[in-house]
This record gives sequence, structure tokens and C-alpha cells, in this order.
Amino acid sequence: MRPRVAAAAGGAIALVVALGACSKNTGEGTTVDTDRQQTGVIATDPKDSMGPAAEVAGARKGGTFTIIRETPISHLDPQRTYSFAGLMTSPLFARYLTTWKDDGKGRLVLVGDLAETPGTNVNNDCKVWEFKIKDGVKFEDGRPITSKEIAYGIARSFDPDLSGGPTYLQEWLADSPQFDTAWDFKKNRTSLPPGLTTPDPKTLRFEFAKPRCDLPFAVSLPTTAPLPADKDTGVNLDTQPFSSGPYKVAKNQVGVQLTLDRNPHWDPNTDPVRHQYPDQFVWSFGPTADAANNRVIADNGADQSAIAFNFVPASLVARVANDPALKSRTILSPTPSANQLVINNQRVKDLKIRQALNYAIDREGMVKALGGQTVAAPMTTLMPPSTIGYRAYDAYPAGPNGNVDKAKELLGGQAPELVLGVADNSTEQRQATQIKANLERAGFKITIRNIPDDSKLDEVKKKGNPWDLYIGNWAADWPSGASILPVLYDGRTIKAEGNSNQSYFNDPGINAEIDRILALSPADQGPEWAKLDERIMKEHAPVVPFYVDVAHVVHGSKAGGVFISSVFGYPSFVNAHVKQ
Amino acid sequence: MARFLIKRIFSAVLTLLAVSVLTFLMFFALPRDPVTGMCPKNCNPERLERVRQELGLSDPLITQYAGYMKGIFTGRDLGSAQGGQCDAPCLGWSYVNNEAVLDTIARVLPVTLSIVIPAAILWLLLGVGLGMVSALRRGTWLDRAAIGFSLTGASLQLYFVGAVLLLVLVYNLRLLPVPSYTSIFDDPVKWASGLVLAWLALAFLFSAIYARLSRAQMLETLSEDFVRTARAKGLPKPQVYGRHALRAAITPVVTIAGLDVGAALGGTVITETTFGIQGLGRTAVEAVRAGDLPTIMATVLIAAVFVVVANVLVDLLYAAIDPRVRLG
Repeated sequence: MRPRVAAAAGGAIALVVALGACSKNTGEGTTVDTDRQQTGVIATDPKDSMGPAAEVAGARKGGTFTIIRETPISHLDPQRTYSFAGLMTSPLFARYLTTWKDDGKGRLVLVGDLAETPGTNVNNDCKVWEFKIKDGVKFEDGRPITSKEIAYGIARSFDPDLSGGPTYLQEWLADSPQFDTAWDFKKNRTSLPPGLTTPDPKTLRFEFAKPRCDLPFAVSLPTTAPLPADKDTGVNLDTQPFSSGPYKVAKNQVGVQLTLDRNPHWDPNTDPVRHQYPDQFVWSFGPTADAANNRVIADNGADQSAIAFNFVPASLVARVANDPALKSRTILSPTPSANQLVINNQRVKDLKIRQALNYAIDREGMVKALGGQTVAAPMTTLMPPSTIGYRAYDAYPAGPNGNVDKAKELLGGQAPELVLGVADNSTEQRQATQIKANLERAGFKITIRNIPDDSKLDEVKKKGNPWDLYIGNWAADWPSGASILPVLYDGRTIKAEGNSNQSYFNDPGINAEIDRILALSPADQGPEWAKLDERIMKEHAPVVPFYVDVAHVVHGSKAGGVFISSVFGYPSFVNAHVKQ
Repeated sequence: MARFLIKRIFSAVLTLLAVSVLTFLMFFALPRDPVTGMCPKNCNPERLERVRQELGLSDPLITQYAGYMKGIFTGRDLGSAQGGQCDAPCLGWSYVNNEAVLDTIARVLPVTLSIVIPAAILWLLLGVGLGMVSALRRGTWLDRAAIGFSLTGASLQLYFVGAVLLLVLVYNLRLLPVPSYTSIFDDPVKWASGLVLAWLALAFLFSAIYARLSRAQMLETLSEDFVRTARAKGLPKPQVYGRHALRAAITPVVTIAGLDVGAALGGTVITETTFGIQGLGRTAVEAVRAGDLPTIMATVLIAAVFVVVANVLVDLLYAAIDPRVRLG
């Protein structure tokens, strides 16, 4: 369970921006690519949002593409989809207002999906947004998709029965976190939530009380998948969603197998990202990560066109790394899921101590403790390299293993006693031993306190929690600095519990800078967030940037077109095909 | 006979009731809130409380239990968050699988039956056969080989045997397809080829116990007076061993087999996990991990039903096999 982005006001219609370290389908080598610099844009030219998507080299039609995973997908109902497996599957049978064109080499472009463009900021104040719906987009029964069905999909996401999905649109429209009491879907099935209108079948209009500049990003989540009201089966839609994408659910044996067949009413000319190469997609649930990866490595029969959705487990890493035949069947890519050693700034108030922690940390040692470069890649910035506008820097250059002398110098002979709170799961226990050892080299005294795994997240989110250090993780729902820095480092958001700002960092100067950037023209925000990222670390060091999770995936010799999504860090299937 | 049956059925119902109450209580002792699993990422306390109320999780335990039992016999309305009206036998709604629990059970039960029943036939034939042979050829190399075989089987673990079989037969020699479940009514060949590994692994492990048990029983019976009498009367060997001795020797085997099959039907978790097949056992374990009470209740109750029914059947079989046993 990863913490996800809470509402972030303002944000980016960021234009030309640099992206570092992104997805890479390693054709030859199995090293994590962390130097890539690419440009990413929000498409302003409607042509970018038009289909068909560029053909994938070597792809052909036909075959069955299998995805093996241990546990089922928690929700197929698009309005309830939020798990990574769900987010990666949903595009096959659901279309949204906008979507990411992701070439698997780090280049991200936000384009219109059902909409002709990624949205029009009507008054340039981010309060009123309009989307024009494309012609020729259809449901699986051949009915045209209009703004009405998209609006209905958003409306039903207000229904508390249909919990589980992202809540950005609901909270923004209702202007309240209590959106389901602000507008009761069950009592208003034939009307729409406040601020959401369909002036005509081709137009969808959002009106917000506050500026919501991240809207084009937020509507790339499955909340905006369309649904005709007469096809709404409530909670049962979860087992049998109604398709607007290139595939439709043919058979769903919950927890065993999900079979998707081609949807003949999907028109490639309307779709900028999806393809319809395989005859069938089959999700096969049950095998453990070990069994699934073993099967794919064995490359036997139907498994030749299969992928193991669970990353290569520790027990098989060496085998995969040492088998040259597997190199062309391995994908190794850093993900946007960023981990920090969070410092509780309400307890550790001395900047020198926080800086010393940054010098003392041994990132390479931690990566090794976690299982090596196939599991984690070190980072020194607050935002992960896949963020729009990202710029690499290291505010406390200490080499890969940390600089003990520099840390000792900053401590000036004192030996701060710090409490490290860790979840009682095996990963964090291993990490804790590692962290304690390399901080104590520099003169810190570290006491490890265990927190029950289930409640750790809730506990560290409480202001006044009794720990000085803990491991934190952030995987944003879209790669904009506005969905990271204001959420994690704006001190004005700190409340009694449920804090995303887990370092409890609060600095008026930084808060003001956050406001300044959020008020900027969206095109200018990307690089500004990168500058703020560096400034926060240089001036305040509220956390120790640690590592990003790495995706490590094997696929069969005939499974083509898979890449790691630069947005979510899991395998994407929009280009998937079965090789001859 | 009728009186015996009524007594047994009455006690079986009591057992099942006790199991259902215990499961209910144990679930609430679990350190886990099922609601947090429903909205993992963006819940605030107010929303959680509302979900809890809608699911009836804030009601007193006794009310929840009564509602559940009522659902089984008369059906009940679960509310729109749980699929609305749920007809009898209503086992509730799983908010983890997002479907009626009865649908889950209807899907996974045939899987477990398909694994256990053929495997049980195999292990009984193999086990009892080996036991007989080694008892009748006591002290020969055949006896020693059979004992060695059963020792090996009894001391190995399924997750090891299963993994080895998988590695050799599926991944390396590619003689068998990757284990999977296909309905016997759709494609009997695929059904058998997808499950044969699980049958073999189970049969190998279980038959060991039966071989040892039936060997010991057979040896004991062979030394009894009635066997000597039968031989002295001049009955041919096959008739003595097959009709008289085997019938007497097999009663304890039937007891153990009844319990084993009943328990295996309740959940072959390790077999299912090793071969990546989703049956009743894995469903139960996953439900416990996810705090999915309706599914836990259903799987535990069904497992209990199997064990209880198997016990009644064993008692009935006793009478049929051994004329010395009278039911009353």
C-alpha cells in the first residue's frame, strides 16, 4: 500500500520539460538507465491526440497475450480502480478524458483520449475547464460515447458504495473532502455533481471553486471512464465492466482468470495510444511470484507470450542476471516510487544534525541490503527522476557510501540520540539494521523501535509521533512537481493526524515559494519545482532522499511491446503483441 | 440404524453451529479492520465510519451473527454496497473479491473436488495395495522396497515434492502442461492433464501412511484365529486374504481415509499453492489474510461440513465392511 498524492492545488500545464531516468526496455543490457534526459509535454496540438497510435515495430495481429500474477486485481470497475495492476489493465477496456503517450524511453506526452485535447483552461484561471469529445468513439455495444456518459461515470464515483478509486475530481467539484455528503449520488442519479455540466453531447465542463491547474492530469485517471446509466450495475460492474476501449471482458472468473476479447466497436483512428494486436488478453491469477517468474523463464508453450506481473523475486535475481539468454527478455527500469529516510523536523530541529544524516547515509549499502540494483536505485533529490522538470543534483555529495568525516564535522563532537521507527515487516527490519549501522559510524546513537506493519502508515501520519526517523514512500499519481512538493513539504497542511507531510517540515519561506510557483503560468512550473526541490534540500534538509524502487520484469520470448509505465512504474500493455 | 443416523445428524448440526460461532468470534479477535482494505489510499475517519455502518460492522456481534445465519436459510437484503438482495443460501458478499461469496464457492469448490477425489482414489489404491503386498510378502525385498517407499513419502513435504515434479516434468522435460484447472465437463483431457501432477504428489505423500497402516493391520489380522480357521477349512489363499482378512484389516484405514479426505476437501492449501491452482484452501487463506469475514465463514463452514459428513460416512461404512460392528 503506497501513499498516494492528496489533492494538490495548482500545477502544471508544463510544456517542454526535461525527464530523467525513465523507463527503458533493455534490449541488450540489464543495467538501470538513470541518465536519460527527455522532453515531455502536454500536447497543445490536437493532432497529437488523434489516432491511430504509431505502429509498434515488428508487431503483428493475433495470438493470446498472458499476464501472470499472484493476486487478483482489486477492482475492474474504472471508478474504483486505484491499484497498480488495475491502473495498468484498465486502459485495455476503458478510455479516459486524457491519457499519457509513453514511449517507454522516458518521453511522456499528455494527450486527449476521449477528449480532442488535454482540456481548455477557459478563463486561464484553472477554475473552468472544458473538454470536447471526439467523434467516432463508441462503447462495446456500438453506442456513441458522449459527454453525458463521461459525466455519469464521474457522478457515480461519488457513491460511497463504489469506494476504492481516486478522489481528486470528487473533492475538487464538491470543494470538500466530504464529497459524498456534499452531493448524494443515490438521491440524484439523474443529475450531475455541482460544477459538472454537459452543455451539449460533445462538451464536458468542470467549474471549480478554487483553481485546479492539475485537472488535465487528474482526468487521466480511470475516474473519467464513460458509462451509460442503463449499464450501471452498481457493485457488480466490478466483475463485468462495460468497455469503451480496444478490448472487452469476455469471461471473468474472479481470482482465477480474466479473459479480454477484442472490442469490434473500438476505432483505432480515435485512439492516440492503444493498439489491438493480440486476439486475446488473459490475466491468470494464482501462481506465486516465484512460480510465475519460473514459468516465464522456462518459456514453455503458451508462456512464451506471457509476462510475470510480479517483479522477479529475490530468489531468482541471480539466475536472471547470469543467464545471457534471458537478457533480451528482461526489463529493468527505475520507477517513480521514491523512498526517503524521513526526519521528524518537529523533533530534530538542528539543521546540522539533519545535514549530517544526509552525509552519513550509505545509499549503495542500502541498495545492496534491499537486493541490489534490480530492486532499488539511489536518489539524492526529493522528486523522482521521472518528474516533469526534474533536474539532478546532490546537495550533500558524500559518494555512494556516505562521508563519515563530513558528518562528524557537522556534528562537532556531539552524539545525537535518535529513535528510528520501523514497521515489523522483513524489508523494513533489514533496512533498519543497515541504517543504524551506517549512522552510528558517524557518531549517531540510534534506537530502533518497531511499529506494527498494519498501523505504521497511520502512526507516522500523526503529528507528535514519538519517532525521529522513519522510512517514507511517495508514488505520485501523475509526474508533476505540484503533486509532490506541496503535498509533502507545505507546512500549512499539517493537522493532528493523516498527514502526508510526514517530516512535519514547515518553513514560511518555502510555503511562500510554493504559492508563488502554483500561481505561475503552468508552462513555467516544471523547472521551478526542480529549483525548489534543490533549495529545500540545501537550506533545510527535511529528509534524506534515499532510493527509487526498480521494476524488474521478465517476459516470454514471444511477448513483445511491453514497457514500464513512466507514470506508475509497472508494465504497460497498450503496445503488447505476440511475436511470430 | 435410523436412530443412529438421527443422532449423528443432530450432533453434526451442533458441531457446525459451534464452528460458525467460533469463527465469527475469532474473526473479531483478529487485529485487523476489514474496512481499511476497502479504501486503502484516501480514506478519512468519517468515510470509514460510514462504510462500517453501511456494512453493518458497527452492529452488535449477536445481530451480525443472527443476520448471517438468517441469510443462509431465508436469504436477506445486503444493501446496495453488497449487491442488494441475496437469495438463500446467502453466504454474504465479499468486499475483497467484490462478488457474492456463493459465486466464489461455486467456482473454487469444483477445483478442490477435482484435486482431492481422484488423488484420494489414487492414494488409497496405491497405499492399501502396497500395504497388502508387503504384508503378504513379509521380509522379502518387495516388503523392504514398499516400506522404503512409504518412509520416503511420509518424510517428504508436498511443497518440495511438488516443486521437484514441476521442475522436472513441466519446466525441464515439458511432458506436462503448467498445472491449471479446466472443468471436466468442458474438456476432460485438459482437466486430467492439468491436475495429474497434483494427484501424483498428493498420492505419493498420502499413500505412504496407508501403506504402513494397512501393512500393520494386515499382519495383525493374519495372525488372528479366524484366519487360521479359514485356512484350516481349506479355503483358497486369495479368498482368505481378499475376503476375510482384508475386510477386517481395512476398518482403521477407512477411519483415517474418511478424516483425510474430509480434511483435504476442506482445503488443500499447500497443494493449491504449490501448483498455483485456486481452490477452496487458497481462497480460505487469502480471505484470512484480507480479513474477508464472509469468505472466511463460508470456507470454514464448508470445510467443517466435509469433515463432519466424512465422519458419519465412515461410521456407516464400518458397519458395511465389518460385520462385527453394529450401529446403535
